[in-house]
Amino acid sequence: MSLLSPVEGWYYKKVSKDEKMWMVIALILCLMMFVWMIMWHVYGKQNPSSLTYKTSTAEFSKLSEAYIKNNMVGVDKGIPVVRPKPNSDVFVLAEMWRWSPVLILQKDQSYKLHISSRDVLHGFSIQPVNMNFQVYPQYDYVLTFKPTETGEYKVICNEFCGIGHHTMIGKIVVIDKEEDLKLYGYENMKKAPDPVVKKTNEPLTEQEMVLLGEQAYTLKGCAACHKIDGTKELAPAWNGLFGKSEEVRENGKIISVKVDEDYIKESIKQPQQKITVGFEKSPMPVFPVTDEDIDHIIAYIKSLSK
Amino acid sequence: MFRTCDITGFKVDLQSQKLIRYNAVFAVISLLLAVTAALLLVFTRYQPMHLLNAEWYYRLVTFHGLNALIFWIIFFEVAGLYFGSTVILNTRFCAPKWGWVAFLLMVAGLVMSNIIILMGKADVMLTSYTPLKGHPLYYLGIILFAVGALLAVVLFFGNLMIARREKTYGDSLPLVAYGLMTAAIIAVITLASGAIIYIPTFLWSLGLIENVDPAMYKLIWWGLGHSSQQINVAAMVSIWYMVSFLAVGGTSINEKVSRSAFVLYILFICLASAHHLLTDPGVSSAWKVWNTSYAMYLAVLASMIHAFAVPSSFESAQRRWGYNKGLFQWLSKAPWGNPAFSAIILAVIGFGFIGGTTGVIFGMEQTNIIVHNTIAIPGHFKGTVVIGTTLTFMGITYYLIPLIFRRKIVGFKWAQWQPWLFFIGIALLSISMIVLGQLGVPRRHWDSTFSGGPFTYNFNPAVDFFWVLMMIGGVIAFIATLIWILIVVFSVSFGAKVNGPNDMQLTISPLAPEAKKHKGFEAPGTLVLTFIFLLVFLALFFLNWKWLAATWNVN
Repeated sequence: MSLLSPVEGWYYKKVSKDEKMWMVIALILCLMMFVWMIMWHVYGKQNPSSLTYKTSTAEFSKLSEAYIKNNMVGVDKGIPVVRPKPNSDVFVLAEMWRWSPVLILQKDQSYKLHISSRDVLHGFSIQPVNMNFQVYPQYDYVLTFKPTETGEYKVICNEFCGIGHHTMIGKIVVIDKEEDLKLYGYENMKKAPDPVVKKTNEPLTEQEMVLLGEQAYTLKGCAACHKIDGTKELAPAWNGLFGKSEEVRENGKIISVKVDEDYIKESIKQPQQKITVGFEKSPMPVFPVTDEDIDHIIAYIKSLSK
Repeated sequence: MFRTCDITGFKVDLQSQKLIRYNAVFAVISLLLAVTAALLLVFTRYQPMHLLNAEWYYRLVTFHGLNALIFWIIFFEVAGLYFGSTVILNTRFCAPKWGWVAFLLMVAGLVMSNIIILMGKADVMLTSYTPLKGHPLYYLGIILFAVGALLAVVLFFGNLMIARREKTYGDSLPLVAYGLMTAAIIAVITLASGAIIYIPTFLWSLGLIENVDPAMYKLIWWGLGHSSQQINVAAMVSIWYMVSFLAVGGTSINEKVSRSAFVLYILFICLASAHHLLTDPGVSSAWKVWNTSYAMYLAVLASMIHAFAVPSSFESAQRRWGYNKGLFQWLSKAPWGNPAFSAIILAVIGFGFIGGTTGVIFGMEQTNIIVHNTIAIPGHFKGTVVIGTTLTFMGITYYLIPLIFRRKIVGFKWAQWQPWLFFIGIALLSISMIVLGQLGVPRRHWDSTFSGGPFTYNFNPAVDFFWVLMMIGGVIAFIATLIWILIVVFSVSFGAKVNGPNDMQLTISPLAPEAKKHKGFEAPGTLVLTFIFLLVFLALFFLNWKWLAATWNVN
């Protein structure tokens, strides 16, 4: 009679025995699950943290850059590698489209990971252990991880973040003994590219400029899109780029330009001015770099064409 | 202007009938757009085919989400709300002109948003989390659609008021209308959330507002995104009761219980936004536990009450018709040749066993860690909104064609098979997506080989099997949907006219006879079925928690 008004006395009709029984069981199940979640905070070992700091994208980028500068022990595929001390604060930056840095962690030790984004939302997904967290810009999420198994883990991005979303993959290595580093080729990490001693009043040599440029390339995240091995999925590769003629689109028209100092400077400061043909779908954002940084980067790009 | 239905005896307002028809037609168009995109998406994610390029993949994910979750569902629900507030209550449509305004707003929204998406101006996913930015007209399209839908809901309440004032029904609303009223109340809450978040986002996309806080955006957006799914739940459960009445002449064995369960939905289900913030910064654990559990799971309790009340309404009626032998004769002697009936039973099973179980388990604060943003999440809602809501809507359409469009169903044999085919397709699709997600495969991801990335990752080799299964399921579901759409289009345009009650392909049952006084259980078969459900749920529950306990420690 669900299409008709209920029969008279429906409100006072007794609930049948079986329905009553089911409702009691269902209610108990509901309360049990509620209590279960609370008890897991007491006895369980996996609880999403409540600790968040409000930050800004500029502030967090600066924090992460400084952290990496002071702690990096090497580079893996253009991404800095850091081996943090147990119980220390670790800064992980998500950006289109990379995770930085690569981490070397010790099994059964805790690390306070501060995770935030420089641009849009990202998803921090550690595989194959399959733990997933959300990453925001403007919020610094603090998660204390304690890896319980050794091995190589990948951090994939599982929140849509633009056309290069599928290329965003980072790495965490969990070791037990020092020898384990060999498994990942991390045993002789060169301390570079941070060998440059601050000199005062003396111009830098070309060699030092290149090293600083390489450092900027790694720290600022250029490596996320610009490769130095000739592959060019999202952006032009940097090796062999300097001095080359490139087809670019300016105000809708295609023109040819020579890649020189001025062109590189303009491309970094106003990336939307001239867009290289073939890369219209992955526009470059404006990065917070100084004129000095740009000079170093130009020196580095030049060195890649020699 | 009324006609009196020679089959059901209801008075049908012709204006209302026209509005129901047009809204239903646009629902079907939206569904066609959605499933066409869905097939291309499945063929892309299946890596050996990898059909679309990255750009079109993300574009069509956005397109599919909007057409399936918003346009198809809401157009159909508006048709359902008009049906429930006029035909069932024997009353007139309060303001047909405004009904057309609502309809035109919704169509304008649909056209505008879809065009902008296909032009490539809004590759932002259905969720469009800020600071990802789409074209202003994309947001405007959704706002227009939402305003139209809200207007339709207001008209629904107007119809109820007229019916009440003119006393066109007895003392209390029929259960179906009561359930639809629940859906309408939830719709107001939901659409208000939508307005609160889409209007500032629209202004931000125009450059008039500096910043839309990403965490606030996500919290309020899901007040629309998830709570709107509860409109579907309420509408779907109402239709389940309606089909129980039409197919076997049954109703809830205790209407007070069913109605109380609907009230629980209104009170607690709007907390569901928290399901999407469980592994997010910005909100505390106490907030997460309270909200994600709908205040101690009282909305889940409501669904579990319906899980008993709906099948028992069939069982009780069937037993009164004399199918009283053993535990399950009521089921074996049920009208399986009636496609609306089989669709509803399959929807109940799919919704409970696939969508419901995973919904509760994935929505717990800690277990969410192992599924958040993986493909298990769309797997879960394929188990709720597709195998539950969509299949239910498909099923009830088999009644709407003769009753509202006054046409016979063309290809009735196909119609009898269609719900089974659709069920099998979506079940395969949904279950394989859930397993893939548990193995870490992300959702909304173009290339699971990570080509172009600095590193690569190989998923557990078991994924290969489930990718194939998912593709097969997707293809079957697509074919089943296409069959349904063709049946609807052909019946409505070329079907023979229905001549009275004896000309119906789907029977309408008279009321089941009064129950004889008896002791013991009212619906023992249903009780056994719900216990089986309970065991399956507990097994999945402990499996997931065991899985979680094996991961790294985090706090």
